[in-house]
Amino acid sequence: MAVVDHAGRVRPTPRRSWLGAIADLSETRYWAYWLLVPALVLILAVVLYPTVWGIGLSFREMRLNRLDLGTGFVGLKHYRALVEDPIFWLSLQNTVIWTVTACVGELLLGLAVALLLNREQRGFRVAAVLILLPWFLPNVVAGHMWALMLDPRLGVVNDLLVKVGILSTYKAWFADPNWAMAAALLVEIWHGFPFFALLLLAGLKAIPQDLYEAAAIDGAGPLTRFRYVTLPQLKTIIVASVVLRVISLVNSPDILLILTGGGPGRSTMVLSLYAFLKVNKEFNFGYGSALAVVLFVLLMVFSYLYVRLANVMKD
Amino acid sequence: MQFDRRQLLGGLAATPLAGLIPGSAFAQKAGINYWHHFTSTTEFKGLERVMALFKAKFPDIAVTQENIPNPEYMSKMTAAVVANARPDTCMVVAERAGDLVAMGGLTDVTARIKAWSRFGEYPAQAWQGSTVGGKIYGIPAFTFVNWMYYRKDWFAEKGIAPPKTFAEFLEASIKVTDPSKNRFGFSLRGGAGGQSWVVDLIEAWGSPIVVDGKMAIDKKKATEAVAFYAELLTKHKVVPTSAPNDGYRQIMEAFKTGQTAMVMHHTGSLTEIQAALKPEQFGTLPIPAGPAARIARVTYLFNGISNPAKLDAAMRWIEFWAEPEPAIAFLEETGYFPSSPKVAQDERITKNPIYGAAVETTTFGRLPPMFVGYAGWSETVVLPEFQKVLVGRQTAEQAVDAMMKGLEAALR
Repeated sequence: MAVVDHAGRVRPTPRRSWLGAIADLSETRYWAYWLLVPALVLILAVVLYPTVWGIGLSFREMRLNRLDLGTGFVGLKHYRALVEDPIFWLSLQNTVIWTVTACVGELLLGLAVALLLNREQRGFRVAAVLILLPWFLPNVVAGHMWALMLDPRLGVVNDLLVKVGILSTYKAWFADPNWAMAAALLVEIWHGFPFFALLLLAGLKAIPQDLYEAAAIDGAGPLTRFRYVTLPQLKTIIVASVVLRVISLVNSPDILLILTGGGPGRSTMVLSLYAFLKVNKEFNFGYGSALAVVLFVLLMVFSYLYVRLANVMKD
Repeated sequence: MQFDRRQLLGGLAATPLAGLIPGSAFAQKAGINYWHHFTSTTEFKGLERVMALFKAKFPDIAVTQENIPNPEYMSKMTAAVVANARPDTCMVVAERAGDLVAMGGLTDVTARIKAWSRFGEYPAQAWQGSTVGGKIYGIPAFTFVNWMYYRKDWFAEKGIAPPKTFAEFLEASIKVTDPSKNRFGFSLRGGAGGQSWVVDLIEAWGSPIVVDGKMAIDKKKATEAVAFYAELLTKHKVVPTSAPNDGYRQIMEAFKTGQTAMVMHHTGSLTEIQAALKPEQFGTLPIPAGPAARIARVTYLFNGISNPAKLDAAMRWIEFWAEPEPAIAFLEETGYFPSSPKVAQDERITKNPIYGAAVETTTFGRLPPMFVGYAGWSETVVLPEFQKVLVGRQTAEQAVDAMMKGLEAALR
């Protein structure tokens, strides 16, 4: 390319800086897509690639301590084994019990606490911070702390229950398959309810006071106001927080790992813990990945149906 | 002196390059890291003393220790192998060696070890723990000898002789159990870590586990062993009701706080027991004999090299643990047996009666099972199946069936 100057001489086009090239590009319709590239690369690298790789692993033989078996493609072998595996079905059942009970318990307790803290009373701000404390505790710390509190020899809970006459002797909560899940759920609900309390409290603060005043003028009592004003206004937050919490409960076996290790006799074994044990104790990455894929699909289906159901109700 | 922004950024960018300048302080010291799963204060004190002695002898090699909790040790090692971020050196218990070698977590150092001046000091058994497929992957650092603690004062009170067989053990457990005093005969480890005792009892009742790489459990003998062990809770009620979930901490607390009369563990817990009970209150015994064999494990805990990038420095470190000075320092802090028989002749061991049971055990003790997949099978099959018997959800026979099936799957 060349340009002609004012005297009619032909001169080469001056070399443009890279900044100039970018400036030109920014004027085009593709500029927005270029701006998305860094974020896209990051997402591909840290989200999509590991997910796809993990799914691919579930179709391959991958036992880290049996590399002699190779790492070839085995098709649906792990999924077939999974269908015939009674521990998988037990874990699935336990996962549903664990997730539903913990989520409902945390939601109800969180809602009650949020409603309480929404009142403008002296000292409630301090109480709000204190109530959030369990959520700040890492799962590992909370698990060990409760393991000690529920200990059949040294635990303060047994001591209190015996003193008030509810128990005649100390109970080994985590050694009894009829009680182990319930005791672990108590710990999980205690640990997780501030999550709901925090989000719901934020939602309650955002509800316009006019709505309550209008309802009161129409003769609505506290329960009616709660049903027709508070709950509908909180619905979006409830839906979002339940989805987030269910995902977290299904995926994080740490509290159960610390309190029971899935026992006694697998009575508290959940799918995420089973997958963890398959990978980290048996080094069977293929089977562990198949379990993880099943969890992934179940969570996708749940999230889709739940959000859709919530929208249908709204309509 | 003032810097503009360009100079400052340039200086920061150049900083890492300074380490590459020959002769600089960065290049002089070989730094290696060491992963271990020590947990107690005494173990840490022992480690500190060994590190201090090493620093004095090898000032040019800086060792950085990193503690990984034992239950997460294999997870962390697995992640490190997968991510190619292995430590230079690491602690390995014999029953994990097979899995670690199979996943590429340990480096073959056979030639180096055979050329090492202290190689001949060790009995052949000491090397079995760190040998996989004929290759040696580490040097024994110290030894755990399984034994039993018992309440000497309670036994004397009841006029019971210390048990030598499991039949006598049961009899003593029944006699010493007194629910009104919240006293039980034995601390049964039915929670985390309890699987190895189940396997030991199965062998003590005469059943092998694996022969020539194939499942070899004798169903009848194994069932009798599992039934005997579970009935301590389900029938005789001579163990605390918390047994199905009791791990190391719980069984030791039960013994230390006067809830149980006997507990099986290894020499590594001696300092903890000594700190809690007076010498006249407790004694040590070899593990009782079963109907077919007396099974007690002598576990050589060795140090291996995971990442061979700094092989020379790493070898210096793992060899150092076998030297008399650090071995005795470690013994003084922890009570752990030196791995070298030569060092174990130290009179602090031979003249101390509390070590008598351990010294006796070394004459018949055997290594833990070491086939590939043992750790996973014992932890994810043996333990939960045994727990189900403990809580009355299945019979011993059903548990053994599941163990046999699980073992076949693990070996397949």
